[in-house]
Amino acid sequence: MASQEVLNRKPMQVLERIRENLEKLNEKMEVMIELQKHGKKGLEQPLPDTPLDVMTLLAMPDHLRKTAMTVCRLGRATADEVAQQTKRARAVESAYLNQLVIMGYLKKERNGRKAYFYVERESQG
Amino acid sequence: MKALGRIVAVHSYKGGTGKTLLSINLAATLAKRGKKVCLFDLDFRAPSLATLLKVDKANCWLNDYLNGTCEIDKVLIDTSSRIGNSGKMLVAFANPATEAIRDMSAKDRKWEMRALGRILALRESLLRDRDFDYLIFDTSPGLQYSSINAIVSADLVVVATTFDRSDVDGTKRMLHELYELFEKKTEIVLNKVMQDVPSKSGDDLQAKVKDTYQAPLLGVIPCFCDILRAQGDVIYAQDKPDHPLARILDEMVATIEKST
Repeated sequence: MASQEVLNRKPMQVLERIRENLEKLNEKMEVMIELQKHGKKGLEQPLPDTPLDVMTLLAMPDHLRKTAMTVCRLGRATADEVAQQTKRARAVESAYLNQLVIMGYLKKERNGRKAYFYVERESQG
Repeated sequence: MKALGRIVAVHSYKGGTGKTLLSINLAATLAKRGKKVCLFDLDFRAPSLATLLKVDKANCWLNDYLNGTCEIDKVLIDTSSRIGNSGKMLVAFANPATEAIRDMSAKDRKWEMRALGRILALRESLLRDRDFDYLIFDTSPGLQYSSINAIVSADLVVVATTFDRSDVDGTKRMLHELYELFEKKTEIVLNKVMQDVPSKSGDDLQAKVKDTYQAPLLGVIPCFCDILRAQGDVIYAQDKPDHPLARILDEMVATIEKST
Protein backbone atom coordinates (compact mmCIF):
# COMPACT_ATOMS: atom_id res chain seq x y z
CA MET A 1 0.00 0.00 0.00
CA ALA A 2 2.86 2.30 0.80
CA SER A 3 4.41 1.85 -2.66
CA GLN A 4 1.04 2.55 -4.25
CA GLU A 5 0.92 5.86 -2.41
CA VAL A 6 4.36 6.82 -3.70
CA LEU A 7 3.31 5.98 -7.23
CA ASN A 8 0.23 8.13 -6.88
CA ARG A 9 2.15 11.01 -5.45
CA LYS A 10 4.73 11.26 -8.21
CA PRO A 11 2.59 12.62 -11.04
CA MET A 12 1.04 15.00 -8.54
CA GLN A 13 4.47 16.25 -7.57
CA VAL A 14 5.40 16.80 -11.19
CA LEU A 15 2.20 18.71 -11.81
CA GLU A 16 2.79 20.77 -8.70
CA ARG A 17 6.30 21.62 -9.89
CA ILE A 18 4.98 22.70 -13.27
CA ARG A 19 2.34 24.85 -11.63
CA GLU A 20 4.90 26.46 -9.37
CA ASN A 21 7.16 27.22 -12.29
CA LEU A 22 4.29 28.71 -14.22
CA GLU A 23 3.46 30.90 -11.27
CA LYS A 24 7.04 32.07 -11.01
CA LEU A 25 7.03 32.91 -14.72
CA ASN A 26 3.80 34.75 -14.29
CA GLU A 27 5.24 36.85 -11.50
CA LYS A 28 8.33 37.67 -13.53
CA MET A 29 6.13 38.83 -16.37
CA GLU A 30 4.09 40.98 -14.01
CA VAL A 31 7.28 42.62 -12.81
CA MET A 32 8.41 43.25 -16.38
CA ILE A 33 5.07 44.84 -17.19
CA GLU A 34 5.35 47.02 -14.11
CA LEU A 35 8.88 48.06 -14.98
CA GLN A 36 7.76 49.11 -18.45
CA LYS A 37 4.77 51.00 -17.11
CA HIS A 38 6.84 53.05 -14.73
CA GLY A 39 9.64 53.62 -17.17
CA LYS A 40 12.13 51.77 -14.97
CA LYS A 41 12.47 54.92 -12.94
CA GLY A 42 14.49 54.35 -9.83
CA LEU A 43 14.66 50.63 -10.37
CA GLU A 44 17.87 50.30 -12.35
CA GLN A 45 19.87 49.35 -9.32
CA PRO A 46 18.23 46.74 -7.17
CA LEU A 47 19.47 47.24 -3.65
CA PRO A 48 19.59 44.08 -1.61
CA ASP A 49 18.34 44.25 1.97
CA THR A 50 17.49 47.91 2.11
CA PRO A 51 15.78 48.65 5.40
CA LEU A 52 12.16 49.62 4.96
CA ASP A 53 12.12 52.45 7.47
CA VAL A 54 9.66 55.31 7.79
CA MET A 55 11.79 57.77 5.83
CA THR A 56 12.01 55.30 2.94
CA LEU A 57 8.25 54.78 3.07
CA LEU A 58 7.74 58.53 2.92
CA ALA A 59 9.92 58.86 -0.16
CA MET A 60 8.20 56.03 -2.04
CA PRO A 61 5.72 56.63 -4.86
CA ASP A 62 2.14 56.49 -3.58
CA HIS A 63 1.17 53.23 -5.26
CA LEU A 64 4.10 51.34 -3.74
CA ARG A 65 3.76 52.95 -0.32
CA LYS A 66 0.24 51.64 -0.02
CA THR A 67 1.39 48.09 -0.71
CA ALA A 68 4.45 48.37 1.53
CA MET A 69 2.44 49.78 4.42
CA THR A 70 -0.09 47.00 4.14
CA VAL A 71 2.66 44.40 4.39
CA CYS A 72 4.10 46.25 7.39
CA ARG A 73 0.70 46.16 9.04
CA LEU A 74 0.02 42.50 8.29
CA GLY A 75 3.56 41.39 9.08
CA ARG A 76 3.52 38.61 6.52
CA ALA A 77 1.08 38.39 3.68
CA THR A 78 0.23 36.92 0.30
CA ALA A 79 -0.71 39.09 -2.69
CA ASP A 80 -4.29 38.03 -2.08
CA GLU A 81 -4.30 39.25 1.51
CA VAL A 82 -2.72 42.57 0.52
CA ALA A 83 -5.25 43.02 -2.29
CA GLN A 84 -8.09 42.49 0.16
CA GLN A 85 -6.81 45.37 2.29
CA THR A 86 -5.96 47.80 -0.49
CA LYS A 87 -9.03 46.94 -2.56
CA ARG A 88 -6.86 46.66 -5.65
CA ALA A 89 -6.60 43.68 -7.97
CA ARG A 90 -4.50 40.74 -6.86
CA ALA A 91 -2.39 40.90 -10.04
CA VAL A 92 -1.63 44.56 -9.38
CA GLU A 93 -0.57 43.87 -5.81
CA SER A 94 1.47 40.90 -6.94
CA ALA A 95 3.36 43.16 -9.34
CA TYR A 96 3.93 45.85 -6.71
CA LEU A 97 5.03 43.29 -4.14
CA ASN A 98 7.53 41.78 -6.53
CA GLN A 99 8.75 45.23 -7.41
CA LEU A 100 9.34 45.91 -3.71
CA VAL A 101 11.25 42.63 -3.51
CA ILE A 102 13.45 43.69 -6.44
CA MET A 103 14.07 47.01 -4.73
CA GLY A 104 15.24 45.08 -1.68
CA TYR A 105 12.54 46.31 0.71
CA LEU A 106 10.59 43.09 1.04
CA LYS A 107 11.51 39.44 1.29
CA LYS A 108 9.62 36.70 -0.43
CA GLU A 109 9.24 33.16 0.72
CA ARG A 110 7.40 30.29 -0.91
CA ASN A 111 5.47 27.89 1.20
CA GLY A 112 4.03 25.26 -1.08
CA ARG A 113 1.59 26.98 -3.38
CA LYS A 114 1.67 30.32 -1.67
CA ALA A 115 4.20 33.12 -1.83
CA TYR A 116 4.52 35.17 1.32
CA PHE A 117 5.92 38.68 1.47
CA TYR A 118 7.37 40.22 4.60
CA VAL A 119 9.70 42.89 5.93
CA GLU A 120 12.88 41.42 7.26
CA ARG A 121 13.47 42.58 10.77
CA GLU A 122 16.73 41.67 12.29
CA SER A 123 16.45 39.34 15.22
CA GLN A 124 18.88 41.20 17.42
CA GLY A 125 18.53 44.76 18.63
CA MET B 1 -15.72 42.73 25.02
CA LYS B 2 -14.03 46.01 25.80
CA ALA B 3 -12.76 47.96 22.79
CA LEU B 4 -9.01 48.09 22.37
CA GLY B 5 -7.40 51.29 23.59
CA ARG B 6 -5.92 53.91 21.33
CA ILE B 7 -2.60 55.56 20.64
CA VAL B 8 -2.50 59.34 20.34
CA ALA B 9 0.68 61.06 19.12
CA VAL B 10 1.12 64.75 19.90
CA HIS B 11 3.31 66.36 17.26
CA SER B 12 4.13 69.75 15.74
CA TYR B 13 6.24 71.27 13.01
CA LYS B 14 8.12 73.68 15.22
CA GLY B 15 9.35 73.48 18.77
CA GLY B 16 7.71 75.42 21.56
CA THR B 17 4.18 74.96 20.29
CA GLY B 18 3.03 73.33 23.51
CA LYS B 19 3.29 69.63 22.71
CA THR B 20 4.54 68.64 26.14
CA LEU B 21 2.04 70.80 28.02
CA LEU B 22 -0.68 69.32 25.85
CA SER B 23 0.56 65.73 26.24
CA ILE B 24 0.78 65.84 30.05
CA ASN B 25 -2.54 67.57 30.37
CA LEU B 26 -4.37 65.34 27.90
CA ALA B 27 -3.01 62.31 29.76
CA ALA B 28 -4.01 63.77 33.14
CA THR B 29 -7.48 64.74 31.91
CA LEU B 30 -8.05 61.22 30.58
CA ALA B 31 -6.81 59.74 33.87
CA LYS B 32 -9.14 62.05 35.78
CA ARG B 33 -11.99 60.68 33.76
CA GLY B 34 -11.13 57.22 35.05
CA LYS B 35 -9.03 56.04 32.13
CA LYS B 36 -5.87 53.99 32.34
CA VAL B 37 -3.30 56.09 30.54
CA CYS B 38 0.36 55.79 29.70
CA LEU B 39 2.34 58.85 28.69
CA PHE B 40 5.51 58.40 26.62
CA ASP B 41 8.36 60.87 26.26
CA LEU B 42 9.49 60.17 22.71
CA ASP B 43 11.36 63.47 22.47
CA PHE B 44 14.80 61.92 22.93
CA ARG B 45 16.60 65.04 21.70
CA ALA B 46 15.14 67.22 24.42
CA PRO B 47 13.49 65.04 27.06
CA SER B 48 11.29 67.03 29.39
CA LEU B 49 8.82 64.78 31.22
CA ALA B 50 11.45 63.61 33.70
CA THR B 51 12.05 67.21 34.79
CA LEU B 52 8.41 68.25 34.77
CA LEU B 53 7.25 65.23 36.76
CA LYS B 54 10.33 65.37 38.99
CA VAL B 55 11.75 61.94 38.26
CA ASP B 56 15.52 61.98 38.26
CA LYS B 57 16.22 58.30 38.45
CA ALA B 58 14.77 55.30 36.69
CA ASN B 59 15.85 51.68 36.63
CA CYS B 60 15.06 51.61 32.96
CA TRP B 61 14.40 54.45 30.55
CA LEU B 62 12.33 54.36 27.40
CA ASN B 63 15.69 54.50 25.60
CA ASP B 64 16.52 51.06 27.06
CA TYR B 65 13.25 49.56 25.88
CA LEU B 66 13.87 50.81 22.35
CA ASN B 67 17.44 49.51 22.53
CA GLY B 68 15.98 46.11 23.35
CA THR B 69 17.75 45.83 26.71
CA CYS B 70 14.73 46.09 28.94
CA GLU B 71 11.03 45.14 29.04
CA ILE B 72 8.41 47.88 28.89
CA ASP B 73 7.08 46.94 32.36
CA LYS B 74 10.36 48.01 33.90
CA VAL B 75 10.23 51.40 32.18
CA LEU B 76 6.77 52.48 33.32
CA ILE B 77 6.60 54.59 36.44
CA ASP B 78 3.27 55.04 38.16
CA THR B 79 2.52 58.73 38.62
CA SER B 80 -1.15 58.23 39.53
CA SER B 81 -0.53 59.79 42.94
CA ARG B 82 0.36 63.02 41.16
CA ILE B 83 -3.09 62.89 39.57
CA GLY B 84 -4.81 61.70 42.73
CA ASN B 85 -7.91 60.29 41.15
CA SER B 86 -9.64 57.12 40.12
CA GLY B 87 -7.71 56.79 36.90
CA LYS B 88 -4.19 55.60 36.36
CA MET B 89 -1.34 57.49 34.78
CA LEU B 90 1.94 55.74 34.09
CA VAL B 91 4.84 57.39 32.37
CA ALA B 92 7.69 56.09 30.21
CA PHE B 93 10.50 58.60 30.59
CA ALA B 94 13.24 59.45 28.13
CA ASN B 95 16.68 59.65 29.65
CA PRO B 96 17.57 63.35 29.98
CA ALA B 97 21.32 62.76 30.39
CA THR B 98 23.42 64.45 27.70
CA GLU B 99 25.17 61.19 26.93
CA ALA B 100 21.84 59.48 26.31
CA ILE B 101 20.70 62.29 24.01
CA ARG B 102 23.91 62.00 22.04
CA ASP B 103 23.54 58.24 21.85
CA MET B 104 19.95 58.48 20.58
CA SER B 105 20.81 61.03 17.91
CA ALA B 106 23.50 58.77 16.47
CA LYS B 107 21.20 55.83 15.69
CA ASP B 108 21.08 54.48 12.15
CA ARG B 109 18.16 53.50 9.93
CA LYS B 110 18.22 49.86 10.96
CA TRP B 111 18.00 50.81 14.60
CA GLU B 112 15.10 53.16 13.88
CA MET B 113 13.36 50.31 12.10
CA ARG B 114 13.74 48.01 15.06
CA ALA B 115 12.60 50.84 17.33
CA LEU B 116 9.46 51.15 15.22
CA GLY B 117 8.84 47.44 15.71
CA ARG B 118 9.10 47.93 19.48
CA ILE B 119 6.78 50.92 19.47
CA LEU B 120 4.27 48.95 17.41
CA ALA B 121 4.54 46.06 19.88
CA LEU B 122 3.15 48.34 22.62
CA ARG B 123 -0.27 47.91 21.08
CA GLU B 124 -0.19 44.29 22.15
CA SER B 125 1.75 44.53 25.38
CA LEU B 126 -0.07 47.54 26.81
CA LEU B 127 -3.38 48.07 25.02
CA ARG B 128 -4.33 44.42 24.65
CA ASP B 129 -2.59 42.58 27.47
CA ARG B 130 -2.63 45.27 30.14
CA ASP B 131 -5.87 47.01 29.28
CA PHE B 132 -4.56 50.53 28.88
CA ASP B 133 -7.18 52.85 27.41
CA TYR B 134 -4.78 55.40 25.95
CA LEU B 135 -1.12 55.71 25.11
CA ILE B 136 -0.07 59.34 24.64
CA PHE B 137 3.15 59.95 22.70
CA ASP B 138 4.93 63.25 23.26
CA THR B 139 7.27 63.67 20.28
CA SER B 140 10.13 65.79 18.90
CA PRO B 141 9.09 68.56 16.55
CA GLY B 142 9.45 68.34 12.78
CA LEU B 143 10.50 65.53 10.52
CA GLN B 144 12.57 63.24 12.68
CA TYR B 145 12.85 59.51 12.82
CA SER B 146 11.57 59.11 16.36
CA SER B 147 8.60 61.36 15.67
CA ILE B 148 7.67 59.68 12.42
CA ASN B 149 7.93 56.29 14.10
CA ALA B 150 5.50 57.59 16.72
CA ILE B 151 3.16 59.00 14.08
CA VAL B 152 3.16 55.77 12.09
CA SER B 153 2.25 53.82 15.25
CA ALA B 154 -0.56 56.14 16.32
CA ASP B 155 -4.31 56.00 15.68
CA LEU B 156 -4.66 59.74 15.99
CA VAL B 157 -2.17 62.57 15.55
CA VAL B 158 -2.86 65.73 17.51
CA VAL B 159 -0.96 68.54 15.81
CA ALA B 160 -0.10 71.52 18.00
CA THR B 161 0.34 74.73 16.06
CA THR B 162 0.44 78.47 16.55
CA PHE B 163 -0.36 81.37 14.25
CA ASP B 164 3.34 81.94 13.66
CA ARG B 165 3.70 82.15 9.89
CA SER B 166 6.53 79.65 9.53
CA ASP B 167 4.65 77.27 11.81
CA VAL B 168 1.46 77.56 9.73
CA ASP B 169 3.36 76.87 6.51
CA GLY B 170 5.29 73.95 7.94
CA THR B 171 2.19 72.45 9.53
CA LYS B 172 0.31 72.67 6.24
CA ARG B 173 3.14 70.87 4.49
CA MET B 174 3.27 68.16 7.14
CA LEU B 175 -0.46 67.57 6.87
CA HIS B 176 -0.18 66.81 3.18
CA GLU B 177 3.29 65.37 2.97
CA LEU B 178 3.49 63.38 6.16
CA TYR B 179 0.26 62.51 8.01
CA GLU B 180 -1.77 62.13 4.84
CA LEU B 181 0.78 59.84 3.22
CA PHE B 182 0.59 57.54 6.21
CA GLU B 183 -3.21 57.77 6.12
CA LYS B 184 -3.33 59.18 9.64
CA LYS B 185 -6.30 60.77 11.27
CA THR B 186 -5.27 64.26 12.43
CA GLU B 187 -6.73 66.93 14.71
CA ILE B 188 -5.35 70.45 15.04
CA VAL B 189 -4.85 72.25 18.34
CA LEU B 190 -4.33 75.94 17.92
CA ASN B 191 -2.19 77.17 20.78
CA LYS B 192 -1.21 80.59 22.15
CA VAL B 193 -4.04 82.34 20.37
CA MET B 194 -4.34 86.06 21.09
CA GLN B 195 -8.02 86.68 21.35
CA ASP B 196 -9.90 89.16 23.46
CA VAL B 197 -13.39 87.97 22.66
CA PRO B 198 -13.48 84.35 23.72
CA SER B 199 -17.08 83.46 22.91
CA LYS B 200 -18.41 84.32 19.45
CA SER B 201 -15.14 84.55 17.60
CA GLY B 202 -14.82 80.79 18.01
CA ASP B 203 -16.81 80.17 14.85
CA ASP B 204 -14.63 82.45 12.76
CA LEU B 205 -11.54 80.75 14.05
CA GLN B 206 -12.98 77.35 13.28
CA ALA B 207 -13.64 78.40 9.68
CA LYS B 208 -10.24 79.99 9.38
CA VAL B 209 -8.46 76.89 10.61
CA LYS B 210 -10.52 74.64 8.36
CA ASP B 211 -9.70 76.87 5.44
CA THR B 212 -6.00 76.98 6.23
CA TYR B 213 -5.35 73.36 7.13
CA GLN B 214 -8.24 71.39 5.67
CA ALA B 215 -8.21 69.39 8.88
CA PRO B 216 -10.54 69.24 11.89
CA LEU B 217 -9.89 71.56 14.84
CA LEU B 218 -9.72 69.78 18.18
CA GLY B 219 -9.44 72.92 20.26
CA VAL B 220 -8.15 76.45 20.70
CA ILE B 221 -5.94 77.42 23.61
CA PRO B 222 -5.65 81.15 24.23
CA CYS B 223 -2.35 82.65 25.27
CA PHE B 224 -2.29 82.48 29.07
CA CYS B 225 0.48 84.39 30.77
CA ASP B 226 0.01 82.37 33.95
CA ILE B 227 0.89 79.19 32.07
CA LEU B 228 4.26 80.73 31.22
CA ARG B 229 4.60 81.96 34.78
CA ALA B 230 4.01 78.47 36.17
CA GLN B 231 7.25 77.34 34.48
CA GLY B 232 5.78 73.98 33.63
CA ASP B 233 5.12 73.06 37.22
CA VAL B 234 1.36 72.87 37.02
CA ILE B 235 -0.74 70.07 35.61
CA TYR B 236 -3.85 72.11 34.94
CA ALA B 237 -6.20 69.17 34.62
CA GLN B 238 -5.34 68.23 38.20
CA ASP B 239 -3.93 71.22 40.06
CA LYS B 240 -6.22 73.92 38.69
CA PRO B 241 -9.47 72.32 37.63
CA ASP B 242 -11.13 75.76 37.47
CA HIS B 243 -8.59 77.20 35.09
CA PRO B 244 -10.03 77.83 31.59
CA LEU B 245 -7.39 75.46 30.20
CA ALA B 246 -8.83 72.60 32.24
CA ARG B 247 -12.22 73.18 30.66
CA ILE B 248 -10.70 73.35 27.16
CA LEU B 249 -8.86 70.09 27.83
CA ASP B 250 -12.07 68.46 28.98
CA GLU B 251 -13.73 69.38 25.71
CA MET B 252 -10.78 68.11 23.69
CA VAL B 253 -10.73 64.80 25.53
CA ALA B 254 -14.49 64.43 25.09
CA THR B 255 -13.98 64.81 21.34
CA ILE B 256 -11.14 62.28 21.34
CA GLU B 257 -13.22 59.80 23.32
CA LYS B 258 -16.21 60.27 21.05
CA SER B 259 -14.18 59.58 17.93
CA THR B 260 -13.01 56.24 19.30
